[in-house]
Amino acid sequence: MDIARRTEWKILASPLVVFLLLFLGFPAIVNLIYSLSQVSFESLRSPTLTGPQNYLDVLTDSSFWSACWFSLRFGLITAVAECLLGLFLAIFLAPLIEKHSFLMAPLMLPLMVAPAMIGLMYRLVLHEFVGPVPYYLYTFFGDSPSFLNADNAFWTLCVVEALQWTPFAFLLFYMAYQAIPLEVRQAAQIDGASPAQILRRIDLPLMLPTIVVAFFIRFIDGFRVFDNVYTLTGSGPGGSTTSLSIYIYEAFFKQGAIGKAVAASVVLFIASFAVLFGLNWLANRRRKAAA
Amino acid sequence: MRTSTKAKLSVLAVLAASLFASTAQAAVTVLGWPGGSEETALRAAAKAYNDLSTVSADDKVNLIFFNRDGFYDKLQADMAAGSNAFDVNLLATYAIGRYAPYMEPVDLGPDAAKVFGESVLKTMQFGGKQYGVPTDLSLHFMYYRKDLIDALLKDDAAKAKYAEISQKYLGKALQPKDPDSWTWDDWAATALYFTKSINSASPVRYGTVLQLKNLLFNIMVFQSLPRSYGGDWMDAKGNVTIDSDAYKTGLKLYKTLYDAGATPKDSLSYEYPETNAAFGSGQAATALQWNAAAGDLTDKAKSPAVADKVGIVAPPAGPVARADHIHGLGLGLNKNAKNKAGGVKVLQWLATQDASLLYAKSGGSPALAPDVVAKIATDRPDLVQLGKFASAYGYVMTGGTSANALSVYELQAKEFTGYWSGQESLEQALANTKSGMEKLLK
Repeated sequence: MDIARRTEWKILASPLVVFLLLFLGFPAIVNLIYSLSQVSFESLRSPTLTGPQNYLDVLTDSSFWSACWFSLRFGLITAVAECLLGLFLAIFLAPLIEKHSFLMAPLMLPLMVAPAMIGLMYRLVLHEFVGPVPYYLYTFFGDSPSFLNADNAFWTLCVVEALQWTPFAFLLFYMAYQAIPLEVRQAAQIDGASPAQILRRIDLPLMLPTIVVAFFIRFIDGFRVFDNVYTLTGSGPGGSTTSLSIYIYEAFFKQGAIGKAVAASVVLFIASFAVLFGLNWLANRRRKAAA
Repeated sequence: MRTSTKAKLSVLAVLAASLFASTAQAAVTVLGWPGGSEETALRAAAKAYNDLSTVSADDKVNLIFFNRDGFYDKLQADMAAGSNAFDVNLLATYAIGRYAPYMEPVDLGPDAAKVFGESVLKTMQFGGKQYGVPTDLSLHFMYYRKDLIDALLKDDAAKAKYAEISQKYLGKALQPKDPDSWTWDDWAATALYFTKSINSASPVRYGTVLQLKNLLFNIMVFQSLPRSYGGDWMDAKGNVTIDSDAYKTGLKLYKTLYDAGATPKDSLSYEYPETNAAFGSGQAATALQWNAAAGDLTDKAKSPAVADKVGIVAPPAGPVARADHIHGLGLGLNKNAKNKAGGVKVLQWLATQDASLLYAKSGGSPALAPDVVAKIATDRPDLVQLGKFASAYGYVMTGGTSANALSVYELQAKEFTGYWSGQESLEQALANTKSGMEKLLK
C-alpha cells in the first residue's frame, strides 16, 4: 500500500518537477555560469569562466548602489503612500460605496492600464506645450514647474506610481474593512467608544494582516519598478532615475555586459531571499511566542 | 458518421491550404524601422514590389515591425539567438559592427553606386563589405523661425538688446546674422535673445529647444557642436580624445543655455517628439532637430502655428568646420534567413533608381545622387538639402562604426546629461566618459 502510494506520488509530482527543472533550474544554472564568466552576445554558447570578477564589478560600481538606493526609496515611499491613501479612502468611502457599489468600477480603472502606458500618458500630460497640467498652471499662475528635471523627477514618478496603484491597496482594505462584523462595532458604540477609538482599537487591529500583506506586495512591486519609469524618464539625467531593474536591463542590452547584468540579478536574488528568510524567521518566532 | 468525418477532414484541408497559401504569399519577411516616415515608405515600396509581375509568389514581401523602444537591443538578442523570423532586417550605420557577425554581405548590383553614390553606400559598409542598401539618411537641420529672425535683422533697438544679452551670457557683444552664416555662438545668442525670461519683449517663450534626455539619439544631435570645434572620439593613434577642449566648449554652451532657461525646463526629458511639439507649438525660436521632422514641421495640417514660417539650414559652424552628423538606416540580409535568394532580390530591387524614387516619393529619406534626386526635387525639396548637407558637412566620428559604437553613445548620454543636470562636474563627466570609452573602443 505504502509502495503504491509512493509510486503514485512520484508519478503525479513528476510533471511539476520536470517543469521546474526545465523552466527554473536550467536558467538558474546558466545564469550562475554567466555570472562567473566573460560573455557577450557572440559568445553566449561558449562563455569563458573568469571567477567572481563580475560580482566585484557590480559591488564596486557606484551606479549599482545608486540604483539600489533609488529602488529602496521608491519602493518604501510609494508603498507607504499607497497604503495610507488606500486606507483613508477605504474607510472614508465605505458608507458611500455600500450604497452605490458601481463607484468601485471607476475607482479601479487605473489598475486596468498597463504601467508602460501610464508612463507614456504622463509624458503627454506633463509636456509643457501639449500637456493639460502645465497648460492650466500657466493659465492660472503664469508658470509651471519642471516636473521631470533631475530634482523633481523622483517625486513625480512616485506620484504617478501612487496614482496608479492606490486603488489596489484601497480594494484590499475595503474588503478587509467590510469583513469586520458589524456587531463588534455596535458593541463598542454601546460601550461608549468614539469613532476614533473604534478605528484605533477595533478596525485597524483587525485589518492589520491585510495592511501588512498590501504593504509588502506594493513594496515588492515598487522595488522592482521598470515600465512606467523607463517610458517616462528612461534612466534619467546622469542615471538619476535608474532603478535596479533598469540597471540590469541597461547592463545587459545597452552595454552588452551580460555577465555583469546577471551577477547583479544574482546579488538581487540573494538579497531578496535573505530579507524573505528574515521575515519568515520573525513571523515564526512571533507565532511560537503567541502559542 | 462517415459524412461527418469527411466534412471535418474537408474543413481541415481547407484550413491547411489557406495557411500554406498565406505563407507562400509572404515568403520574404522584412523587419523594418517602425513608425514615422520610414515605415510609410517601406510599406509603399513593399506593395509596389509585390505588385511586380516578375516577382514570384514565393518571393513576395511581408513586413514586420518591432516597437521603436529598445529596437536595437531586441534585434541584437534575436540575431544572436539565430532567429530566422525575418530574412531582411534593419541596419544602422552605428550598429553595423554589432550586427555584422549575424549578417551576410550583399551584392547590390551595378546600378547602386549610380543611384546613391559611393559615399552613401559606405554608410552601410563594414570591414570593406556591403552589408545593406541605404534606405534613409538621417542628419540634422537647424530649424528656425524666419519671421522672428527677419524682424530681428531689421530692428536696430533689437540689435542693441541682442548685443547686450550676448555680452552678459556669452562674454562677447554679438550682432544678429542670417542663420545660414551662424556660428554656434550666434545661435546661442539668438536663443538667449528670444527667451522670454531673459528678454520680456520676446514673442516666444524659449529661444531654442534642446533634446537632453539620457538617450543615445540625443547625443548624436549634440555631436556636431564639438565636431565643428575639431572634436573627435579618437586620434590617429587610437587614443580616446573625448576630454578635448572642443567637447568642453560644446558641453559648456549647452549648459549655459539650459541654466539660463533658453530651453524648456523639462528639456532633460525631451527627445524627438517633445522637440517637435515644442517647436511646432510656436513657442521656440530655433531647434536643432533630425531632418525627418521637416515634413511635419512644414505641414500646415500638422504644425499650423509655424508651418509657413520655418527656415531650414545646416547646423552652425565652429572655428574648425561646419559639421552635420550622418546616421544611415538601411536593410540587410540575415545570415539565418529562410529565403536568402528572395531577400537578395528585394535588396537589389531597393537599390534601383525606380525603387529609390518611389521610396522617396512615399515619404522616405534616401540620400540620392544629384542627377537622381533632381527627378523628385519638386515633390521632395528637402531631399535636395539632405544630399547637399550630407556631401558638404557629413561626418562619422573615428570609431563610430565599431561594434560598441552605440554603447559609446549610451555612455556619453549618461555622463553628459549628468553634467547638464548639475549632478556632476564637467571634469568628472569627461573623465568617466573617457575611461568608459577606452574600455569600449579598445
